[in-house]
Amino acid sequence: MRAIRLSFFQMIAVLRRDMMLLVSCLAPILAGFFFRFAIPLLETALTDSFHITSIISPCYELIDLLFAMLPSTMFCFVSAMVSLEERDEKTVSYLFITPLGKTGYLFARFGIPAVIAFFATAILLSVFKLTALSPLTILLLAAGGTLQGMIVALLVLTFSSNKLEGMAVAKLSTLTILGAVTPFFIQSDTQYVTSPLPSFWIGKAILEDVPLYMLPAFVLSAMWIYFLLKRYLGKIQEKIN
Amino acid sequence: MITVENLSFSYSKSPFISGMSFSVSEGEIFGFLGPSGAGKSTLQKILIGMLRTYQGSCIVNGVECKNRTKHFYENIGVDFEFSTMYEKLTAKENLQFFSSLYKKQPRPVDVLLKMVGLEQDADKRVADYSKGMKSRLNFIKALLHDPPLLCLDEPTSGLDPANSRMMKNMILEEKAKGKTILLTTHNMQDAAELCDRVAFIVNGKICALDSPHNLIMSKGAAAVTYTWIENGEHSASCSLEQISSDERLKSLIAENRLQSIHSSEPTLNDIFMDITGRTLL
Repeated sequence: MRAIRLSFFQMIAVLRRDMMLLVSCLAPILAGFFFRFAIPLLETALTDSFHITSIISPCYELIDLLFAMLPSTMFCFVSAMVSLEERDEKTVSYLFITPLGKTGYLFARFGIPAVIAFFATAILLSVFKLTALSPLTILLLAAGGTLQGMIVALLVLTFSSNKLEGMAVAKLSTLTILGAVTPFFIQSDTQYVTSPLPSFWIGKAILEDVPLYMLPAFVLSAMWIYFLLKRYLGKIQEKIN
Repeated sequence: MITVENLSFSYSKSPFISGMSFSVSEGEIFGFLGPSGAGKSTLQKILIGMLRTYQGSCIVNGVECKNRTKHFYENIGVDFEFSTMYEKLTAKENLQFFSSLYKKQPRPVDVLLKMVGLEQDADKRVADYSKGMKSRLNFIKALLHDPPLLCLDEPTSGLDPANSRMMKNMILEEKAKGKTILLTTHNMQDAAELCDRVAFIVNGKICALDSPHNLIMSKGAAAVTYTWIENGEHSASCSLEQISSDERLKSLIAENRLQSIHSSEPTLNDIFMDITGRTLL
């Protein structure tokens, strides 16, 4: 456990030397301020100008939902970028043959950031939410968001071989979040096209206020994480060979 | 310390390493010599528990490598041929981090840096280091937790003669402390100078295994070449074993007419070529 903790702090030390990644960690707070304060102001300005009762406010639930996935996606993205850099610098191979080991490394790079992401999401969502979300919903959203973040991180690690490719893959990977948007805009059964994405069920849970929909989200997330992790570990083993 | 019996390993359907057996005693420097792609690095990866899908038995420090746990690495120090440092961090920060991963009391970072002449560059980012500096830093990283077994992959690669000498002296100092050292190299000079025993590896098999001295002697005695002036310069050779029966040489010595004389022992490289039919380059 000591080696895992120290390896996690080592990641923080690396982050301190990389402004882009450091800012990425702070981005959810900046976004939170924008969502919480700028959007309602914008809504007031727009409704006053167009003399309509609401323009953006019907989407407040969706904004909360997307915000719930932001902290974990950013934290896990940052972990993935550090991990890619470690792969470039071949420090990963070395860490595997220290008492940290492969499992310890995975915990330090994905386990601890995911736990932090869960609590950060729960806190930030409570502070910056636009709608009246119950504590249970906030916790479920934080859990769903965390798993979504892990999926994004593993997609980046599995489908890119260096930091530059990682940036490109990260942009594409965040598209998996868009599954949450589908139930809000497509009422017909066509919406189920995106049902293999866990975010789709998170969106449905919020829109229809049915927490049980979080169950398929968790099951699908576990499946995505299992298969991506398997591919990622296979890729690392190829590097070692 | 290390016992390998009937070791076989394959990346695909065809075997890459087959039927290897050898043992390494405590306090010994054991060299793996062979051309690129011979299986040296793969063998090292098996010995340090990175590749675990092998057949046969491979016991290091009393542990079967495929069953190793995290504790296994408390007693092994590995120096890869390539740098395995955080480039954005300083040398000191790197060493402090890696030493913190072990339970053992680490060797002082400043002392180690001084030993390889990097004390002035301790606070420099590794990204700004030259290849030779990175090599030296990589080497002392393997020593941080004072392991009884060191696995060194081309430790003198990319070093100038002075630093190469310093590195070799450090390796001998570690041996003097009773450490077992596995040296993977294709530098025959280093192997002959440092190793107690060497194994020639070609196509995943051990072709020869003995001390460098015995391997060299197995080729036969050294040759003696001499020159003299007699209507121009002439030269002749004879084997060291038969020097006393070379009448011309005896008369040239008696008449004090020798221009030059020198002996030339076969090198480990000659032996390697003889046994394997291949060069290392």
